[in-house]
Amino acid sequence: MPRLNLSYEKKKGLYGYGFIALWFIGALVFFIVPVIQSFKYSFEDVTPDIGALIENWVGLANYKRAFMTDPDFRRNLTSVLGQTAWQTPIIIIFSLFVAIIINQKFRGRTFARAVFFLPVIIATGPVYAIITGDLSTSGTADADQFSTMFSANMVDELLEFIGIYGFNDKLTEILSTMTSDILNLVWKCGIQIIIFLSALQGIPTSAKEAAAIEGATAWEFFWKITLAYVSPMILVNLVYTIIDTFTDPTNVVMEQVLSIQDDWKYGLSAAMAWSYFAIVLVVVGIIFAIMNKVIYYDN
Amino acid sequence: MEEQAVQTKKNPVLGLISGLLAKYKAEKPPKEPKRSRKEERERFKKRLATLTPAEQKYLKRKQFIDAVWPVCRALLVFGLCFVIIYPLLYMITAAFRTRSDMNDPTIIWLTRHFTTSNIKDAIKTMDFWHTLGNTLFINIGCSLVQVLTCALTGYGFGRFKFKGKNILFGVVILMILMPAQIILIPQYMFFRYFNPLWIYHAVTGNYINLIDTAFTMYMPALTANGIRAGLFIFLFRQSFMSLPKELEDAAYLDGCSPMRTFVSVMVPNAGSTFLTVFLLSVVWYWNDYYVSTSFFTNNSTIALQLKNLDASLTRIIFNNGNVKVNARELIVWMEAGCLLSITPILLMYIFLQKYFTEGIARSGLTGM
Repeated sequence: MPRLNLSYEKKKGLYGYGFIALWFIGALVFFIVPVIQSFKYSFEDVTPDIGALIENWVGLANYKRAFMTDPDFRRNLTSVLGQTAWQTPIIIIFSLFVAIIINQKFRGRTFARAVFFLPVIIATGPVYAIITGDLSTSGTADADQFSTMFSANMVDELLEFIGIYGFNDKLTEILSTMTSDILNLVWKCGIQIIIFLSALQGIPTSAKEAAAIEGATAWEFFWKITLAYVSPMILVNLVYTIIDTFTDPTNVVMEQVLSIQDDWKYGLSAAMAWSYFAIVLVVVGIIFAIMNKVIYYDN
Repeated sequence: MEEQAVQTKKNPVLGLISGLLAKYKAEKPPKEPKRSRKEERERFKKRLATLTPAEQKYLKRKQFIDAVWPVCRALLVFGLCFVIIYPLLYMITAAFRTRSDMNDPTIIWLTRHFTTSNIKDAIKTMDFWHTLGNTLFINIGCSLVQVLTCALTGYGFGRFKFKGKNILFGVVILMILMPAQIILIPQYMFFRYFNPLWIYHAVTGNYINLIDTAFTMYMPALTANGIRAGLFIFLFRQSFMSLPKELEDAAYLDGCSPMRTFVSVMVPNAGSTFLTVFLLSVVWYWNDYYVSTSFFTNNSTIALQLKNLDASLTRIIFNNGNVKVNARELIVWMEAGCLLSITPILLMYIFLQKYFTEGIARSGLTGM
């Protein structure tokens, strides 16, 4: 009997290979080989020629050029990192908040859900670029003044209300760039709200009932029940948000990589893209290490 | 009945209790009479008086929050919805105004000169109907194909044990993490100098140029490597893993092959995941201009046309810059283009949103 059982398991395993075979062929051709090639490019001086690319080994020169000589790369890198650092927590907190609200029962909930998921279908495309003020491909009108997004400069209003005018230009500038964007972070929360919503619906009824019997307030319920059950999804959302911000083709590093690619400097652009990717991996790794200690797993 | 009788003999008290219980169960609970608000309040006060101070505090607080929270919530939801809808409303009003309206500070929402000429210009510039057909062909077709292939792959990863599974799944994770920009040039070279079975060049001395053809989109989709395929495989894996194992075993016992099991047992049970993935896939293909810029030189998708709308406007409508249009005035044409390009997908969303918004919460996402 055990021998028959083994053969059944083995047979099933073979079927498993069958199911992933199509993907594996594709991944080999469209992912694994290109990844290795582009890694190789980053150590080479690549010039396009008819029928092929002419490759010359130059060692670390591309990386040196990206970090030492290139005037913009390091600055762009820090700006993207900084932006991600302050936006990610806000996006996470905000989408958890929205998810909790639209998980409650109230009139017009379906409509509210439809509106909150609307960014999912718009925010990745060129429409989003246009409504945030990026009118032209030739770069003549890149300023925020053409943005048609809802804007309210709450900090300035507040400061004026209190009666402080221009107490520190730099600080005011930082604050106002943050707050003018803050409302429009709603536009980056679609997927995260969906993920949190599904996590919220996974909270078992027994936990809710126990909390109700013990007389937990909504506040206590949030900290002791909701947060615990949602914590695995916080990790998922953190990683998703970071990846999404980092790989967004409209962020400055990606724009630079692309424009260098358009100038046929494949080696340099590959070196930039790879060092950028390495940084993303390190950031994600750190977050994994920290979050794994805090997360609560049911069962 | 006999058992009860025996019990009654043995222990009269227990018999009495069980008899009472049976009587109580038989009686229907009395219906609560309707009370006015005033009575309700007095009842609440009476009840409060019998409770401990801590309980009183809790109940009072709960009553207060129950009264205040819906109002706050309504305001919050309304405000946030407004923030999201605002640019769309503006898009609709701006698309139907003349360019001079943009310089008129008294016009914020409603135009005084209603016109459809922007829309017409945008349709002409974007070659809209032709482009729409082309985009639908690429994006709906690729999405359908990709959903099927990703589902197969996800099922393979979710329900089978085989050697090297973890390493291969690591590749899927890497596909999610890796920005598409890194691997674009090798992919471009692959399509530009396409060499079927790696012997075509050796035999004929030529390459096949696939750039500007739909093959560049279909081939990755067909092998579950299209736009954001890693994420979709991941979603399918989670969703299939969360289905009970008994489903599968029953099908195997009835003599179904794994493929048959997948089609007739697993797929119907993962309907909401299929819908979610299909919608996201359509949307991401529709919105993509990044991958398609690399593989198409003539702008044949909606997203690409919109991305290059200002350049094409200058060429076609403004007669190579003979008509001077400043950036603020350009907005009316751009918004008209935006409106055109989101309308099809918005319509699809409106039709499917009920299933999407209610079904997504039940999809495989929870199993992550």
